[in-house]
Amino acid sequence: MRNIDKYKHAFITALDIEESEVREDLALGDIREWDSIGHMGLISEMEDVFDVSIDAEWMTEFNSYSSGLELLKRLGVDFINE
Amino acid sequence: MSFISIEFLLFFTIIVCIYYLIPHQFRWILLLVASYVFYGMINVQFLPLLILSTVCTYFFGIVIEKQETKKQKKHVMLLGISILLFFLGWFKYFNFVNESLRAVAEYFNWNYSIPYQEILLPIAISFYTFQAVSYLVDVSKGKQKAERHYGYFSIYFAFFPQLVAGPIERAKKLLPQLRAEQSLEYENISYGMKRIAWGFFKKTLIADRLAPIVSSVFDSPNPTGSEVVVGTILFSIQLYADFSALSDIAIGCARILGIKLSENFKQPHFAVSISDFWNRWHITLSTWLRDYIFFPLCKGKKKRSDIYVAIIITFLVSGVWHGAAWTFVLWGLIHGIYRVFGDYTKHYREKVVSFTRLDRSPTLHRWMKISITFFLICFARVFFRSDSVSQAFENAQLFLSISSWSPVGIFKALELFTLLDFVVFSFFFIILQLFQYIERKKVSTWKLLSQRSLITRYAFYIFIILSVLVFGVSGDGFVYGRF
Repeated sequence: MRNIDKYKHAFITALDIEESEVREDLALGDIREWDSIGHMGLISEMEDVFDVSIDAEWMTEFNSYSSGLELLKRLGVDFINE
Repeated sequence: MSFISIEFLLFFTIIVCIYYLIPHQFRWILLLVASYVFYGMINVQFLPLLILSTVCTYFFGIVIEKQETKKQKKHVMLLGISILLFFLGWFKYFNFVNESLRAVAEYFNWNYSIPYQEILLPIAISFYTFQAVSYLVDVSKGKQKAERHYGYFSIYFAFFPQLVAGPIERAKKLLPQLRAEQSLEYENISYGMKRIAWGFFKKTLIADRLAPIVSSVFDSPNPTGSEVVVGTILFSIQLYADFSALSDIAIGCARILGIKLSENFKQPHFAVSISDFWNRWHITLSTWLRDYIFFPLCKGKKKRSDIYVAIIITFLVSGVWHGAAWTFVLWGLIHGIYRVFGDYTKHYREKVVSFTRLDRSPTLHRWMKISITFFLICFARVFFRSDSVSQAFENAQLFLSISSWSPVGIFKALELFTLLDFVVFSFFFIILQLFQYIERKKVSTWKLLSQRSLITRYAFYIFIILSVLVFGVSGDGFVYGRF
């Protein structure tokens, strides 16, 4: 599975939502499942899937689908050359 | 030396004058001496503990940074934090744990021989310990460089405007500001003076006017239910005015020295939910607990139920931080339960709102949420303010009795005020609400005022100063100074 698919799948698994709900403009608070508590589960899922450690200050920075992607890129996850 | 005193204003004025007269390279000496003098004048016997904690944290910061692996850094960090928490635990929690164990031993008829110790609580120990812990954690994670300049580091620890009751600052924010050369700027002086005056206003005209009335309810052996209701609501107003006044004065004093401290309050009594309340009340403590307790507890947790446990533990830590008593533990637990219950029922509540069509009247819906949140906050504060667990439960029962809320009873309970006190308090409370109303409209009241004519501006400033001088009363320190 490509990293971008893993990324999308993490949303589906952690937030227990349908694939169609994972949009590129999705942001924290847009859907009921992605609230502050769902966010913590999502962070844990991302850490497991990509074997990274997301620090406290990044947790608040990760507040949308796209910002999460950027954060993971900075942590060394390759979404382009895979 | 109290913040609310002529002595403090004179002391601060002298420090400011010298600060801007001497070259930048000597200013850290002035700030450090001023901080230790200020702390020493409150309680000189605990000055060595403050210095010892500073020395420990300073050296541990450097040693952590010198470690090669993450694991080694973590071990040294944990050792440093353990020492700091030992100090905090010994002075703040020894007797609490000791007495709790004795009660358990008595209940089970066990032999327990550790006697009660006469231990005084060092002022501000909770605040500077939390700053120290965040510093060591940040250094070990590489987010903060270990400070080599012992002078600047000591000021981070003991900076006198915020030493007694925060805001709890992070080294990353405060240290660079202490290092930077601050120049005398009219805007900083003007803003700082206004914030200090506003702090004096809230403290002397709201908080300290309410303090004896609130005490008369909670110190009474048998208050009526309506008195408990009125006393608790007044205590909530007192606590907010008291603590936010302290933050105003701290922020104002620091700004005059060219340093920007974090805001600690955003009109918390207008919060629409418990989580919103904690985004607005004692913000620097809430974010500290979030970053250093809640987030680490959530590591690896995917289930909502596991995160609920983390929420409860975080609020328990908040409760214990506020005071070494079971009433504070219960207060923290109640907030944890609120937060979890609020999240668990969110979906059902949304359905009720939709079913009752309340969502079609957003303003009414918002004010209902504000009222319910305020009621819940007040209920929890019955535990915060009561002197013992048994008294807290008695008061809580009274607070929840429907008869306690009867308009006749509430009206009678207002007799806790003298007529003059009631009129004076109501007048200044309305001024406070007007100020907050303007701020809620996303306008800075001070900025709005600066756009008025010179006469209007100075009339307002003179009104504040005269009000404090003529009607202000001063009690015995700040409520949060005890923590």
